[in-house]
Amino acid sequence: MEVDRVQGKVFEEAPGFPTQYGPDRSDRQPGSPLVPHETYRDLVSIFLLLAMSFFLTAWIVPSLETPRNPAQTPFIVPDWYVLFSYGLLKLAEILPEPDVPGVLGLPAFRLTAGFWGFFLTNIPLIILVVLPFVDRGRENRPAKSPFRSAFGVSFLFVWMFFASMYSVNNLILEKWPVIADDNVLKAFFFGPPFLSFVAAYVGLRRLGYSPMYWYRVVPLMAAFLITAGHSAYILATIGAHPQWGWIAGFLGILTAATLAPAVASAYLPEKAALRATVLSSAFLSLLGVLLWLTFWYYSPGPAYATEVVIVPNMHTVLALPVFSIITGYVGLRRPYSTYEYLLNECYQCGKCHTVCPVTKVEDDALGGLNLVYNSFKKEHDGVPLWTCLACDACSAVCPLDIQYSDYILEERAKVMGQSAVDGGEKR
Amino acid sequence: MTLRQSLWNLFREANRTLFGWVKDRFPTAPWADMTRKLIETDQRQVPRSHAEKYELKTIWYWYPLYCLGGISFVAFILLTITGIVLGFYYVPDGRVSYLSTGKLTNPAYDSMIYIMNSVPFGFVVRGLHHWSAHIMIAAVFLHMCRVYFTGAYKKPRELNWIIGVLLLFLTLGFGYTGYLLPANNLSDGAATIGINMAKSVPYVGDLQAQLVFGGTDISTTNYVLRMYWWHVFILPFISVGLMLLHMALVWLQGVAEPH
Repeated sequence: MEVDRVQGKVFEEAPGFPTQYGPDRSDRQPGSPLVPHETYRDLVSIFLLLAMSFFLTAWIVPSLETPRNPAQTPFIVPDWYVLFSYGLLKLAEILPEPDVPGVLGLPAFRLTAGFWGFFLTNIPLIILVVLPFVDRGRENRPAKSPFRSAFGVSFLFVWMFFASMYSVNNLILEKWPVIADDNVLKAFFFGPPFLSFVAAYVGLRRLGYSPMYWYRVVPLMAAFLITAGHSAYILATIGAHPQWGWIAGFLGILTAATLAPAVASAYLPEKAALRATVLSSAFLSLLGVLLWLTFWYYSPGPAYATEVVIVPNMHTVLALPVFSIITGYVGLRRPYSTYEYLLNECYQCGKCHTVCPVTKVEDDALGGLNLVYNSFKKEHDGVPLWTCLACDACSAVCPLDIQYSDYILEERAKVMGQSAVDGGEKR
Repeated sequence: MTLRQSLWNLFREANRTLFGWVKDRFPTAPWADMTRKLIETDQRQVPRSHAEKYELKTIWYWYPLYCLGGISFVAFILLTITGIVLGFYYVPDGRVSYLSTGKLTNPAYDSMIYIMNSVPFGFVVRGLHHWSAHIMIAAVFLHMCRVYFTGAYKKPRELNWIIGVLLLFLTLGFGYTGYLLPANNLSDGAATIGINMAKSVPYVGDLQAQLVFGGTDISTTNYVLRMYWWHVFILPFISVGLMLLHMALVWLQGVAEPH
């Protein structure tokens, strides 16, 4: 049987020192030889690194700048990898600087912004050190533990990026004076990490084929309500202004871009909802861009709508539509290929083969017909795929909870050019 | 006995006389045999990974990310070699003096100019040291991300994860101390931030600044000498030990794959 053939190739008792030595030994473990396969593969990485270093050296010679002058105010531009710390040091201005009285004969001291910067810099270190003692779950695949993966995306990538970006807040405000508000940049510490966390969580749940409905609808609805409320607030605040119509039109389009995914994911079947989300958001984005270009072309003088309305409020009115479109898409798309990804958890214990009722009545029950294994390997030549009863007995005994009959239905639907989940709707 | 045989015997006698004395005192044969046995065990062939063992198809896209730890180690070796070469010429003295033209300078900065302009291939060696450092830090960070997203820090690999986190911060320390060595205006900026952050911790602040930077005031402190000491002795000493431990644990525990 196939399982035996595979098990025959595997030495579960390895590693450890074998009993035979020399080139003729028979207990060699199957795998790639160290020489030349593994060595050459490593050499590729090493030469790639060397090539990159030499190329960069030839291309950009590191500058020497001017010699240090302690009398001058220093010019502070840290390297990119410590920018996050500098950004946190600048953010520490928002924290209080209390005077702490001395106790037990110790002198009094003041917690300054420098201390808070030091303190905040050490928080990532502490998070990383305690991580293995906090996350004690079994799952190690990204799609199987969406909370951890989404936290990684939002913390390691998005939060670190915006913390680094905030370290050059003075340069940003100087280069784009239209922002002219440090609070907009401070909001990037909290908004994008949170939104990317939610989007990644929804997308990874979808990738892992977990139940989805409320995880999709609630954040999309919330994004719509916040965008609509904030747009109404902006329109009420600016009052009667010659450009009121343009601003109302643009904010209306942004609100519609958040409304479409929310309504579609709540009321339509998945496939139709995906189509509605993608098409409507593409249409609305195009319309918005055209409207804004028209506005810029015809409006005289400085663009009041851009400078006073959109840019100071972009953390809501621009981030949330983008969030809605991305979340709607990743939460609704059909990740067909991930069935194989989920099936890969199989370690071929053979329980499914034992309980499968089809193999009991087929002629080659004792021989080659292992339904699960053969269709998983795509070596089924059509037979196991269509003889399967989808009785779910295999999923019931599977120690890893692999939903094999879902996979069978999906494969059949693919073959027929139809979708199984949407009740046989034509593609 | 032919001439050839007698020559051969002479050679053998000479060999025994010359090398036998060493061989009696430092026997290499048992060690060579042990090494041969070690090489001819199953480590000769790299054991198959989980994915290869069970013929899995769809997690191949993780595989390029598994070379990032090795890339950071190779970058570290390259940094060591180029760092030794730079150490021949670099002068770790950041004390400011005035030239006859009235311009400022310091010995560290002068030695950097000497490396860049006068030492043969000096600018290449410094460029390699500079860019390999950036590559190493990026590779270490991405390696940490790979370990995070594949859940490779879980039991029984917690200790190795903590060692890895320490190595990440030590690598950042290498970068920071190296950034301060040229004793230019950027070094002064980074040193100001560092000294101020170190000083602002209650009670231990001044001691900490004294220990790490060699002083609590940027204008009077020769922080370059202290940074050189961190950069070429203390940090490499700790890092090499932790790296060996890190890789030994990977060797003993096996590579963690996303199953």
